[in-house]
Amino acid sequence: MRRRAVVASVIASAGVLIAGFQIGSAVTAGRTSSTTGTGTTSGGSASNSGTSGGTSSGSTGTTGSSGPAKDGTFTGATEQTPFGPMQVAAVISGGKITDVKVLQKTNQGGRSVQISNQADPMLRSEVLQAQSANVSTIGGATYTSEGYLMSLQAALDQAGFTG
Amino acid sequence: MTIQNVSRPALPQSSGNRPSPRARFRRRSAISDLLVVIAWVSGPVAASLYLASGGLADVKDVGSFLTALGIVTGLIGTDFILLMLVLAARVPLIDRAVGHDRAIGLHRQLGKPALYLILGHAALLLAGYGASSGINPIAEIGPMLALPDMITAVVGTALLIAVVVTSLVAVRRKFPYEFWHVIHLLSYAAVIFALPHQLSIGGTLAEGTVQRVYWIGLYVLAIGAIVIFRFAVPLFKSWAHDIRVQQVEWIAPDVASIHLTGRDLRALGAAGGEFLIWRFWTARTWWHSHPISLSAVPTDRRARITVRVLGPGTRRLAAVKPGTRVSFAGPYGIFTDAARTSPKLAIVAAGIGITPARALLEGSQLARGEATVLVRSSTDDETFLWSEMRKLAEARGAELFAMVGPRARNSWMSQHDAARGVTLRSVFPDLDRSDLYVCGPQRWAEAVVADARAAGLPEHQIHLESFEL
Repeated sequence: MRRRAVVASVIASAGVLIAGFQIGSAVTAGRTSSTTGTGTTSGGSASNSGTSGGTSSGSTGTTGSSGPAKDGTFTGATEQTPFGPMQVAAVISGGKITDVKVLQKTNQGGRSVQISNQADPMLRSEVLQAQSANVSTIGGATYTSEGYLMSLQAALDQAGFTG
Repeated sequence: MTIQNVSRPALPQSSGNRPSPRARFRRRSAISDLLVVIAWVSGPVAASLYLASGGLADVKDVGSFLTALGIVTGLIGTDFILLMLVLAARVPLIDRAVGHDRAIGLHRQLGKPALYLILGHAALLLAGYGASSGINPIAEIGPMLALPDMITAVVGTALLIAVVVTSLVAVRRKFPYEFWHVIHLLSYAAVIFALPHQLSIGGTLAEGTVQRVYWIGLYVLAIGAIVIFRFAVPLFKSWAHDIRVQQVEWIAPDVASIHLTGRDLRALGAAGGEFLIWRFWTARTWWHSHPISLSAVPTDRRARITVRVLGPGTRRLAAVKPGTRVSFAGPYGIFTDAARTSPKLAIVAAGIGITPARALLEGSQLARGEATVLVRSSTDDETFLWSEMRKLAEARGAELFAMVGPRARNSWMSQHDAARGVTLRSVFPDLDRSDLYVCGPQRWAEAVVADARAAGLPEHQIHLESFEL
């Protein structure tokens, strides 16, 4: 009888872990596909196909002229996170990211403000160092980081900033 | 199996229309196995909560790997602690299927692993967060504490350490039971203090996720089981049955029967062989509860328990005045007819162990010759309740053997009987088809059980109720 329980436990555990992993992969895939858009997670299929076409033509244009990004402050899209909206602006000067300003920070329940307060400066310094929105998220502030970086990527796209 | 049962001749009349021990055993072990599977699988489920949130995608370097590991250890550790609460809650379903002592055994086994997982959770996350922001784990403590709800989480962990450390056998012996008990109650605070940081930090249990719903459900289940079965139900039953001491009767130099009166006591559903946890409301006894077996199956108005005076606590108990109000929790235990697995019944009892054995015999529906009883004592002083046992055995058509005399070396039997070659099998010729119920002082009872195992009796046919002396 006890062997039956052990065998059932092992099989059920394996099943549960595999299911968790599968769901996780699906969730991650969903997340990646939405980041490959322009940064705004919303938007129907029509606008998506439109942007992808635009991007490809844009990128050939950029390689042709290889012109520097425009200087100025570019406001990113507002990203919805489970902890509230997140929006940043990128300041670009002389073809470099010189500052990231937080316009809206995650604010749900008061706690996430603290998370945001802690994570934002860390993200800012990483971004300034890497000169890209392609930096790793901050542990314990995954959603905040993702919102921050996606909004930033949208701002950089607007500026035509390619790093 | 089923076919065999059908083709067998019908059981003797007294067994009536109740299911055979074999069928009940199969049902009970199916429930027990299911509970065991649920308990163990809840650990991987906790890890899966993290996997399903897509956590693995964040693992990019050493720092994020340590962080991921830290989150998973925290989830599993907390799951274990909630499981421990459920195991300690004396849930009737668990108590009947696996028995209170086995549930508490697993509860004890889980204590240390759970603590290690929680400490590992803290250490791994300090290292992981630290590595991600380029500072060492010690320097990470400051920023970590600045995170929301971390202070309560740290307090919860400190309480948890206190609870586990005071429960280590070596430490526990140094303190009175009450001290350990009060510290142990802090574990409720520990789990509740730990909850806010789980819900506010990290994405796994974020708002709007299935994970969050599941996790809060676990908390509700564990805390709910404690509140209902440890507090609400006993309080209500104590109030409803209104039990009071009728009389204390000394039946041996250090053994007293406490006669109780109450309302509608049959409705307690106490089977012979069960125990209740009693609290006597006098100025000197109210702060200490005692697990004591029923020494007779309750009638509508009366119940009886029998205690051996072992120390100051039980001495005060035996001195309570008639009319004293008594509250209780229970009945608990599976030293009962319901735990039977085989056609025959064999009972071995010694000392104060006679109390549940007597109630078991009284409460069992038996065919003539179905049961055999062996009562054992070292001296004539220890033969209390034996005359009642003799009458019961006669009425139930059970055979009764008595074994009096000092214990033989390396045996549970008397020197005289060990020398003349008495064995478990010579007393119980049908041992292989019997359920063996053993009840008495712990060491002695373990010796009987070891003997039964050596004789090849399978584990499910052995039922042990030990009294720590």
